[in-house]
Amino acid sequence: MTPPDSARFPASIVQARALSQRVPTADGLLAILSDVALDVKAGETLAITGASGSGKSTLLGLLAGLDIASAGEVHLFGERLDTLDEDARARLRAGRVGFVFQSFQLLPALTALENVLMPLELAGRDDARARAAHWLERVGLAARARHTPRQLSGGEQQRVAIARAFATDPEIVFADEPTGNLDADTGARIVDLLFELNASAHTTLVLVTHDATLAARCQRRLHLVAGRVQDTVSA
Amino acid sequence: MNFLRLGLWLLGRERASGEWRVLLLALVIGVGSVATTGFLGDRLQRAMRDEGARFLGADLLVTSPRPVESWPDNPLATAHAVEFASMISRGDAFQLATLRAVDDAWPLRGTVRIAPRAFAPGTPGRALPPPGSVYVDPQLLPLLDAQVGDTVRIGEAAFRIAGVVVEEPGQLGGVFGLAPRVFLRGDELDRTQVLLPGSRITYLYQFAGAPPALDAFTRALKTRLDDTQRTIGSREGVETLRGAFRNMDAYLQLTALISLLLSVAAIAIAARRHALRHYDQAALLRCFGATTAQLRVLYAVQLFTLGLLGSLGGAALGALVQQALGGLILPDTLARLPALGWKPVAVAVASGLLALAGAALPALMRLIRVPPLRVLRRDLPPLPLSAWLGAAISGAALLILVVAYARDLKLVSVFVGALAALALVLALLARLALVAGRGMRTVSRGPLRFGLAQLLRHRFDSTLQLGAFTLALFLLGLLALVRTDLIESWRTQLPPDAPNHFLVNIAPHQQDAVAAWLADHHLQASALYPMVRGRLIEKNGQPIADTLPPEDRGDNSLRRELNLTWTASLPANNAVTAGRWHGDRRVAAPARGTPSGAPLLRSDPSAELSVESGMAERLHLALGDTLGFRIGDQTVAARITSIRNVKWDSMQPNFFVIFAPGMLDGLPASGIASVRVPSGPGSPMSGFVKAFPGITVLALDKLIADIEAVFARILAAIQLLLGFLLAAGLAVVVATLLASLDARRQEAVLLRTLGARRAWLAQGLMSEFVVLGLLSGVLASVCAEIAMALIAHRLFDLSPQLHPWLWLVLPPLGALLVGASGWLTTRHIVRVPPMQSLRALG
Repeated sequence: MTPPDSARFPASIVQARALSQRVPTADGLLAILSDVALDVKAGETLAITGASGSGKSTLLGLLAGLDIASAGEVHLFGERLDTLDEDARARLRAGRVGFVFQSFQLLPALTALENVLMPLELAGRDDARARAAHWLERVGLAARARHTPRQLSGGEQQRVAIARAFATDPEIVFADEPTGNLDADTGARIVDLLFELNASAHTTLVLVTHDATLAARCQRRLHLVAGRVQDTVSA
Repeated sequence: MNFLRLGLWLLGRERASGEWRVLLLALVIGVGSVATTGFLGDRLQRAMRDEGARFLGADLLVTSPRPVESWPDNPLATAHAVEFASMISRGDAFQLATLRAVDDAWPLRGTVRIAPRAFAPGTPGRALPPPGSVYVDPQLLPLLDAQVGDTVRIGEAAFRIAGVVVEEPGQLGGVFGLAPRVFLRGDELDRTQVLLPGSRITYLYQFAGAPPALDAFTRALKTRLDDTQRTIGSREGVETLRGAFRNMDAYLQLTALISLLLSVAAIAIAARRHALRHYDQAALLRCFGATTAQLRVLYAVQLFTLGLLGSLGGAALGALVQQALGGLILPDTLARLPALGWKPVAVAVASGLLALAGAALPALMRLIRVPPLRVLRRDLPPLPLSAWLGAAISGAALLILVVAYARDLKLVSVFVGALAALALVLALLARLALVAGRGMRTVSRGPLRFGLAQLLRHRFDSTLQLGAFTLALFLLGLLALVRTDLIESWRTQLPPDAPNHFLVNIAPHQQDAVAAWLADHHLQASALYPMVRGRLIEKNGQPIADTLPPEDRGDNSLRRELNLTWTASLPANNAVTAGRWHGDRRVAAPARGTPSGAPLLRSDPSAELSVESGMAERLHLALGDTLGFRIGDQTVAARITSIRNVKWDSMQPNFFVIFAPGMLDGLPASGIASVRVPSGPGSPMSGFVKAFPGITVLALDKLIADIEAVFARILAAIQLLLGFLLAAGLAVVVATLLASLDARRQEAVLLRTLGARRAWLAQGLMSEFVVLGLLSGVLASVCAEIAMALIAHRLFDLSPQLHPWLWLVLPPLGALLVGASGWLTTRHIVRVPPMQSLRALG
């Protein structure tokens, strides 16, 4: 008899086994990811690095349950994702997963405060408004709570996005090129903020980047070349 | 937080950003135009019913050979009259007259015009003369050698002639063959002592009131009446107006349908844009853990709220606009009409929600199927919604709307069929036109080349826009064509030399003398038709009522004597629609009467007759049926060998039943003819009345003027509705442009960043819109010509024809319309500095 998943991977938040992703193209199937295996422990920070087109973002999407792999397994919070449908995966994420995106992905109609409020409302938190205000203060934007994304600079927008990602006390935060749209100085400050919040909230962090400096701050680095794991480096 | 609240919250936040405004605007315009058409159409129909009531003198007229003792309970206004034939005399002169003893309310609707002398215009008022006096038909004066102010005798009483009746409601309502009219007071009837037990009297009862009460009363009444009693509704007031009513109905239906379809198109385009702009939001919500069901609740509550707001706004707009504009064209009627009820508002709101559902659901259903991965890959489209599901949703919603709005299924099926075919053809034509545009691109230069390239680059968008513009222009063109062709053709049906007098009761021996008198006075008369009165009693040997379903047994043509004629040549304004015209296939007239004096059954298997199509339909008559008529004490039977369409508004003598020559010859018949008499003072007809005292002259000038007034109102209403359709069409144009605005802004920013001058960019955009408009105009002309040919042929029995002006007007109109709205909608994207636009695009 097979033990339950949680028993098999007690300390893992995310696990992947023999993960492959292929997409049909005019010239046949194109392998974006091939035979990727990884194990992310609670509280760990992991950087997925690689050149453009190496499959970094695809891997992130699969780990977060935003997509389903062509082959292999992903376990998130002990649940095998390919056995869940889209809605079940959404329910699994609700309140437990945070996201930070390269293009910030703030809702343009909402103020900074309301953008942070959104996932809290979705998770049905009673103290949603107070929490949102608290997190906005944590990222240093309390004064700009009523501003809409258009009235904020790129760095400020990403701070709002970081507050939004941590506001629900998630167990894991996925970040896709969080500094990709920012200049070096701003990017550095954003990275500081991200790691500081991650440390204080004891959250697991999986981030995708091609920035070696950023990757170096993670406990572990997974380097992808043409969809395959070339090496794994532990700090 | 539940998703219902979240949906409303997001909706409220986005209101500020204006994301929903386009959709709401399209909805307000759409529902507004539908509501206006609905309200106005409803009011116009009531106005038309009023017009009919003015002709009839009441909303409902009941005639009975006996007093009616009890009526169903009703809140209606009533008037009462007694009509009978009696001699009226002055000195040695005697004349048979039709006396009508009225109460002070007669007539309830319309007016009686009383003049101090014959052929004078007169003043409007009631029919009740002052005590001790009567009002008389002008032709009675020469017959009695009397003037207004003289005294005449009726039975045992003397009356002063207080005036002549130049016009009264119901003047044409089956009065052929009646003697000249005299009005006297109902309370003075007993003084005359002319009414004795057994006198042939018709009791007339007028009713007027609100339509619901009237309908309930009429229904309750019909079950009580026997076949000697008749009800005449305002729609039947004058046979002549029936065609105008029917065409008016058909036209309003068509108009309501067109504005509805235009608004649905605008809403669908706006909804598609809205969905596109919210893919990111939906993907993000999925990332945060929202399930499909939760997204469905979220977007459904937004859609419903928006639908409710837009529909209420549209209904309010419709009510306001129709009040303002309805007052301009129907000032008299509007004052008397009841306020708009909640029912049309509810109908408008329901229509808005249904239209929104049909137009927007497919787009929103795609929205909730957005994959969460889109947050990482922006190009990822939503999972495709199965095409038939989207089509089924839209189709079902539209079908419900169309069936609910249109009462004439034939009209709807022709129109919807044409539209469905059009949608298919349009996509193909738009593609072809774009291919042709590619050819133009190679020979064009500068901004024009850029504009054409734009059209071709966004092939899908261009096809959609071209299709939508073409549809709008096509519908507008079709509307103009329908208006011109149908209305103008009604107008030309009444040529300036249309007859304006009927000559009734021409005895056979007078025919030559009448013809000679008319020729002497240079007057052109219609053919003279012999006329006998007979009652339809049998079909194929069975009592006619037994052959009909119960609900059709009350038809008025069974309750009264019909005017029957015979002729070998098909009268002008008649068209045989089934069978063949009998021509001169006469049967030998049998000898009259029988030695025993028993009623004679004239039945000859070769005897033929022709029936009017409406009557054939109402009485379920078909070719080959044998009809039996009672004429006096005789029964005459003949076979139906043709069915005719009759233009009742032709101002010629028209007949429900025309026999082949031979059957009725020899029966006591009088003749009827119509004649055109120049209007103005010194009418020759007073001389005619003196020369032929026994012949009744009916002046139709006023009736013709009234019919023209009705047409003028129909025309005004149609022009008004055309304006609303134009607004709905513009909504489509703007919605389509807004749908492509984001992509255009992006391109403009890119081009300006790369160094394109603002003017160059503006010219490029303009040439794109102008070419699009021109193409739409040409395609719309093609479609309108085809559809018009179909409609004219199938629906209105008109022969198809080409309309060159359409080709001259539509393409420039398209260029102007699309060019102007294109420029207004997109002008700011070339003005905003590139950096600001880049920021706005995020």
